[in-house]
Amino acid sequence: MWIDVKMPDLSATEGSDIMVKRWLVAEGARVKRGQPLLEVETDKATTEVESAATGTVAEILAQPDVKVAIGQVIARIEVDL
Amino acid sequence: MSAPGESERRLELLDRMIRIREFEEGVRFLFLEGSMPGTIHQCQGQEATAVGVCAALRPDDFITSTFRGHGHAIAKGLGEQELLDELFGASTGCCKGKGGSMHVGNMRKGMIPGIAIVGGGIPLAAGMALAFKMQKTNQVVACFFGDGAVAEGAFHEGVNMAAIWRLPAIFACENNLYGASTRIDLVMKNPRVADRAVSYGIAGETVDGNDVEAVHAATERAAARCRAGDGPVLLELLTYRQTGHSRRDPRQYQPEAERKAWAGRDPIEIFADRLQAEGVIDEAGVEHIRSRATQRFAEAVEKARSAPQPSIDDLETDVFAAEGAP
Repeated sequence: MWIDVKMPDLSATEGSDIMVKRWLVAEGARVKRGQPLLEVETDKATTEVESAATGTVAEILAQPDVKVAIGQVIARIEVDL
Repeated sequence: MSAPGESERRLELLDRMIRIREFEEGVRFLFLEGSMPGTIHQCQGQEATAVGVCAALRPDDFITSTFRGHGHAIAKGLGEQELLDELFGASTGCCKGKGGSMHVGNMRKGMIPGIAIVGGGIPLAAGMALAFKMQKTNQVVACFFGDGAVAEGAFHEGVNMAAIWRLPAIFACENNLYGASTRIDLVMKNPRVADRAVSYGIAGETVDGNDVEAVHAATERAAARCRAGDGPVLLELLTYRQTGHSRRDPRQYQPEAERKAWAGRDPIEIFADRLQAEGVIDEAGVEHIRSRATQRFAEAVEKARSAPQPSIDDLETDVFAAEGAP
């Protein structure tokens, strides 16, 4: 089963786009629920986005230094069942 | 070894704290998945204050809560289902979907819906306690607020009024060292909150807020005092928020060393370790409590996702008190 990793609404200015700074994992990497996946920059600070599931990073869909909308799919994780 | 009955009571404290932690962690991931709209304020690390206080109250006693109310709610007896339904905005939620995360409560279970204004619950608790005293119900109200509320005018007015009239109110300050991102010593010359009790002529106590049994014992003393007509009481519960002020907060203002020190004093781990050392439960038993809480949460989420949303016809219901209501 796959799950979509969506950009969470982390901006202090509600609803504004969020900049992807740096991925902390690569495609194919094993990740645990709660493990930081990437760093994003909001208007206030750099924040880590954690994985909502345990599994394997199947696809990374957002590049560093690009702003994405809240809710946009930024990665896919193949979930362990 | 604990006496019979005593073990069950202590295990119930552990179970309740673990249910709160599992609830908060589960909600955190719902937020990350994008299933949970808006922002949320969570209480990971502060479970012992909620559970210790509420376990020392009677079912007909009341609590007032803040915008960080999920833990208080579970501690006072609200169920995961009515809370999750509320977080999903469903009409089956504890506030029929009109309160959301910030305002959870259930009057029938002794929790008035959460008051999101910092310090706003303090005068309200004084008013409730006045009603209890005038009606001679022998009930007590425990009022939760954070250190950020202590320098508000509402604190002074509410505590002073409760003091002059000896009202049955327990002012339970969850001192987690930060009002949002501002450290307590930047806004208070004397950061020891319990010291303020002296100036109002009431009893005050500073308690290890990460030790659920210490909180429970202090609240039992406070409740007994209140019921004897010697209230109110100011309890300062020292604790630490192991999560952001809200989900958008990376809490970079908490120094790394401080975070680590408090992570080593996790209220659930402290109590689970104590119960294991005293032979009340073993590691497998703790794990069983945890997996039961996870399961309970997962089942409630599945139901909440498809719970009915309020209709437009419900827009004006429950907004004003019914005429003639007490």
